[in-house]
Amino acid sequence: MTAESAIEITTFVNGTEQSGYVPARATVAEYLRDDLGLTGTKTSCEMEVCGVCSVLVDGRPVSACAALAADLDGTTVTTVEGLAEEGRLSHLQQAFIEKSAAQCGFCTPGFLIMATALLAANPDPTRHEIAEYLDGNICRCTGYRPIIEAVELAATRMRESA
Amino acid sequence: MSVLPPFALHRPQSVDEALGLISFDDMPLGGGTELLLAMRMRVLRPDTLVNLKQLDELKSIRLDGSDLVIGGGVTHLAASESALVAEHLPILPKVLLEVGNPRVRASGTLAGNLVFAEPKSDVIPILLALDARVHLRSASGSRQMTIDEFIIGPYYCAREPEELLTEIRIPTAGIARAVYLKYQTMERPTVGVAALDMERDGTERRRVVIGAVAETPTLLDFAPGDQIDGAAIAATIEPIPDIAGSARYKRHVTGVYIDRAVAALDAERP
Amino acid sequence: MNGSPTVGQSLPRADSRAKVTGEARYAVDHVLADMLHGAVVRSTRAHAIIESIDKAAALAIPGVVGVVAGADLGSLFPRFGHLIADHPVLAIDKVNYMGEPVALVLGETLHAAHDGADAVIVDYSDLPVLGDIATALEDDAVLIHPETYPAGDAAFEEAITEPRNDNVAHEASIEWGDIAAAFEEADVVVTTSVKYPKLYAYAMEPYNALSIVNDEGIDVVTTAQHPFMVRDDLARMFSLPLAKVRVRSPVLGGGYGSKSYTKIEPLASVGSWYSGRPVKVALSAEEAIYTTRADSAHITVRSGFDSAGKLLAREFEILMDTGAYTDNGTLVLAKCVNRCFGPYETPNLKVHGRAVFTNTVASSSYRGFGAPQGNLAGELNMDQAAERLGIDPLELRKLNILPPGGTIVPGKRGLDADLGADLDIVTSTLDWGSESQHMTGSGFGVSASDAGAYPVSTAQVRVLVDGSVLVMTGATEMGQGSKTVLAQIAAHELGVDLAKVQIVQSDTGSTPYERTTGASRTTVLVGLAVQRACQDALGKLESMAAETFGVSPTEIKTAEGTVVAPGTGEWPYAEVVRSWFGARSGEVTGVGLVRATGELEMLPPFWEVGTVGVTVSVDCDTGRVSVDHLVTVGDVGFAINPTLVEGQDLGASTQGLGAALYEELIYDGGQLENPNLVEYRVPHATDMPARIDTIVVERGDGVGPYGAKGAGEGTLNPMGGAVAAAVGRAIGRWPTELPLTAERVWLLMNEEGRGLNGED
Repeated sequence: MTAESAIEITTFVNGTEQSGYVPARATVAEYLRDDLGLTGTKTSCEMEVCGVCSVLVDGRPVSACAALAADLDGTTVTTVEGLAEEGRLSHLQQAFIEKSAAQCGFCTPGFLIMATALLAANPDPTRHEIAEYLDGNICRCTGYRPIIEAVELAATRMRESA
Repeated sequence: MSVLPPFALHRPQSVDEALGLISFDDMPLGGGTELLLAMRMRVLRPDTLVNLKQLDELKSIRLDGSDLVIGGGVTHLAASESALVAEHLPILPKVLLEVGNPRVRASGTLAGNLVFAEPKSDVIPILLALDARVHLRSASGSRQMTIDEFIIGPYYCAREPEELLTEIRIPTAGIARAVYLKYQTMERPTVGVAALDMERDGTERRRVVIGAVAETPTLLDFAPGDQIDGAAIAATIEPIPDIAGSARYKRHVTGVYIDRAVAALDAERP
Repeated sequence: MNGSPTVGQSLPRADSRAKVTGEARYAVDHVLADMLHGAVVRSTRAHAIIESIDKAAALAIPGVVGVVAGADLGSLFPRFGHLIADHPVLAIDKVNYMGEPVALVLGETLHAAHDGADAVIVDYSDLPVLGDIATALEDDAVLIHPETYPAGDAAFEEAITEPRNDNVAHEASIEWGDIAAAFEEADVVVTTSVKYPKLYAYAMEPYNALSIVNDEGIDVVTTAQHPFMVRDDLARMFSLPLAKVRVRSPVLGGGYGSKSYTKIEPLASVGSWYSGRPVKVALSAEEAIYTTRADSAHITVRSGFDSAGKLLAREFEILMDTGAYTDNGTLVLAKCVNRCFGPYETPNLKVHGRAVFTNTVASSSYRGFGAPQGNLAGELNMDQAAERLGIDPLELRKLNILPPGGTIVPGKRGLDADLGADLDIVTSTLDWGSESQHMTGSGFGVSASDAGAYPVSTAQVRVLVDGSVLVMTGATEMGQGSKTVLAQIAAHELGVDLAKVQIVQSDTGSTPYERTTGASRTTVLVGLAVQRACQDALGKLESMAAETFGVSPTEIKTAEGTVVAPGTGEWPYAEVVRSWFGARSGEVTGVGLVRATGELEMLPPFWEVGTVGVTVSVDCDTGRVSVDHLVTVGDVGFAINPTLVEGQDLGASTQGLGAALYEELIYDGGQLENPNLVEYRVPHATDMPARIDTIVVERGDGVGPYGAKGAGEGTLNPMGGAVAAAVGRAIGRWPTELPLTAERVWLLMNEEGRGLNGED
């Protein structure tokens, strides 16, 4: 076993600059949850298939359980806590409430982050495209229909308000 | 929750610096989608990770003559979004969008898939079909080889511990049409079949590559108009039985998907 | 009842804003500055004697504070279990399944704790591995549990505590009439044999707990569905009065039964007892798989009919693989025995079931609770009988289905549902009877479960000095929506704005007693307790108003959040409270108690029914099944929040689809082949049917508030049989085993010498 190194990083998380040292092996999920107290990001399968730990790093979706905190140096990170602006929920968050897309809610942050990434790349997805993009996220409660309907609803409202 | 085993992390600022750091126990870290998972499962326990993520020189996608050259740090997502790739090699983005999920595509690299010699890869069969070559560099030199030479077995490739896969070079000329079809019931493909009509060395041929089902992919060339019998080809494949199916079943669906890929290729003809 | 109806409305969930912003605090989000992290060393053997545990290398790692093993538990009672206390916190002398906790490493950081766990060396001597039922039942098989253990909660009469000389963990039967004579008379006898897989519930928040054990007692924040049951186990372990044990279950990241009863809490508590510091133990998904699963079952059913299709007799033989420990396996078996034959008029019946110990993960509660296993056998048997009799399967079911009020089990509550009507709704929505296309088929099924919801519930409703309301309940919010539904009930009963009602849940130190959160009980039983607590509070407010404002109590009533004395005055609740106490402060507490009396004397309190249908298509080359259409009927009496009911019904049926098509824990001897979410595949978004109809039926026929019955399991229970029947019709051969993976269907299609009839 080798000596573990600690790495200095500076990153912008939900618009706030964060600086500190992280162990080399610290994952993004550990850093966000344990160091920054941003516990909205959950972990579950730890194998990159459930999507619960999804966050955006420089706008791209990342499994926070399988990415190193050290790699956040110089990046911009968005977690579920950063989706609302000044207390105003995003269209996706609002649509998730209206469509009852969260039951236990443990998967919800990951779905919101992935849906945010999807709508940034494709503002007018079909239901099939939504399901395809979200196929890497597991929800065990809802049967997915309300989630897909919520993404559709949010996409419509975002296009209308754009 | 589980944790990664301890390691030291280097962040070299150039490929040359990275080449001075890597060795058997000091492994290069690309996208990390496979390496970190293997470490979490304690399959690999390197002393050091040499991070390549910050090396922009590995992230280029360029055209060299009629060859598309994809850097060793290019992610599936970046390649799938590249206008150059879309223009010169339209089959590649289609295949890359079949990889894993959007997070794996945004972090994982083509080179990483190759150096892991992931047997259930979507990427390796199409690169083999396209006659891609990999470029390996070490502190003492460099070498090139074909995918066939590079992929030796499951999770076993020809990269030496001191080498980095810096480039994938893919000829774009002579490809008339190409399709990729896969059968997948679990998180990884059971079988993936690439079928192409192409011209190589002045000869028209129909090429079929069968991936994911056996330890290594199989490449078969046919003359235009040859009858291609999926079941007969599948009979020569040695599938790896696992949770996605028995050898017998996998052989069967391999035949089905060869036939379907060939039919899909025919359907692409003008 | 007062005010505008807040019940019967699809109001947004009370917890949805917190859940979309990331503010919702789950157990795993609870930390303390001085806490240690616990990492579990797990057995690498399925059945072995522990020869030694070498802690030295682990203790040498910086940051490792201690290593606790079974032998270190000293004065504690080292086992838990609400039926039979056979489950060691940490293995004692012997391991009984691969993945069993052997030691707990305590570290200052999560990393240190896990490095320590990697460094603990355990030396084993292997014993013969009983990896499946057949091996465990061999005459000369070693006993997994050669000794006996104390009984758990005395309320469970089903537990067997007498010693046995075999590996049968539990046995249960039910019988009436004379089946031998009835089979003699039968014109047609149809036998069906099926296998149901071992399943993992996959609540996405893995088990975790943060425990403090000190002179004050124990305080645990955990993922338990039943915090009061966990309290009882911990009190026995640590020899403490119940009042000294506080168990809190905040928002749960899914449960589905898998977080019923004690799981992770003893580990964290033992860690804290050993170290004198708060200890958090948070499992990975893989470790959660090694914590509990659902029973697999092998069931054979024989049914005799007269030539017109009337059921004369049914006989079921059930074998369940219950794993290494009792947990809740006894009750799952007992329920499977009660639930397998379904809501049909069955004049002669015999059901016999055995659950067998094996060297696999202990099985326990999972949504449906024995019903999905039994229903697959019973309903597929009805489909095969219909074919043999030449009667349409809908007609055969309707010919035998019990009418509302009919007796499913003598001595139990009559059927509180109209299942014939529900079957008509499902089949007409499915377009049953229309010509089906090549390689497509439809199937449907019905189930009735005697809800295991023993009516013991207490609730408090506190009307505060500003007129807002706190509802205190020991029922847990795990995604099903109890926080919302109970608030709707309280707002409705008190006639106050929903925004003024706050629900406080699941804290044995502050909320009133709730037996469990399971068996779909909360809406009915806790709903009734909340209703009664509201009435109690209103009565008190009326008396206080009468006393304070000098009005005759008979003239007073409450409406719309006020106490009214016609012609005299109208006083908001807040004013009544303030004026009565006279100090601009105080509050009024109403108490609601529910027990098995009156309407709840006859058990079960309700039958949880389910009627579903599917249309599937099968890829003729690969055997892969796609579900094209799913229909569910939620026969819930009254839907207090219809959207939540539909959410439960689709969620439950989706888990049923998972078991029907994809999910199975696969053992090779004592080795679990797929302890992860890559190889244990649950339904994903693209697996969902193109068309989904979730239909809610309200006939006001339940004993719960406003005629409500429980929901959340019913539409899972008949899914396996419905999918199996649909696939059978698509390919022309009846399946015998779930899940219907592509390979299994392909093999069935290509098997020689099997007809559609199950008799061959």
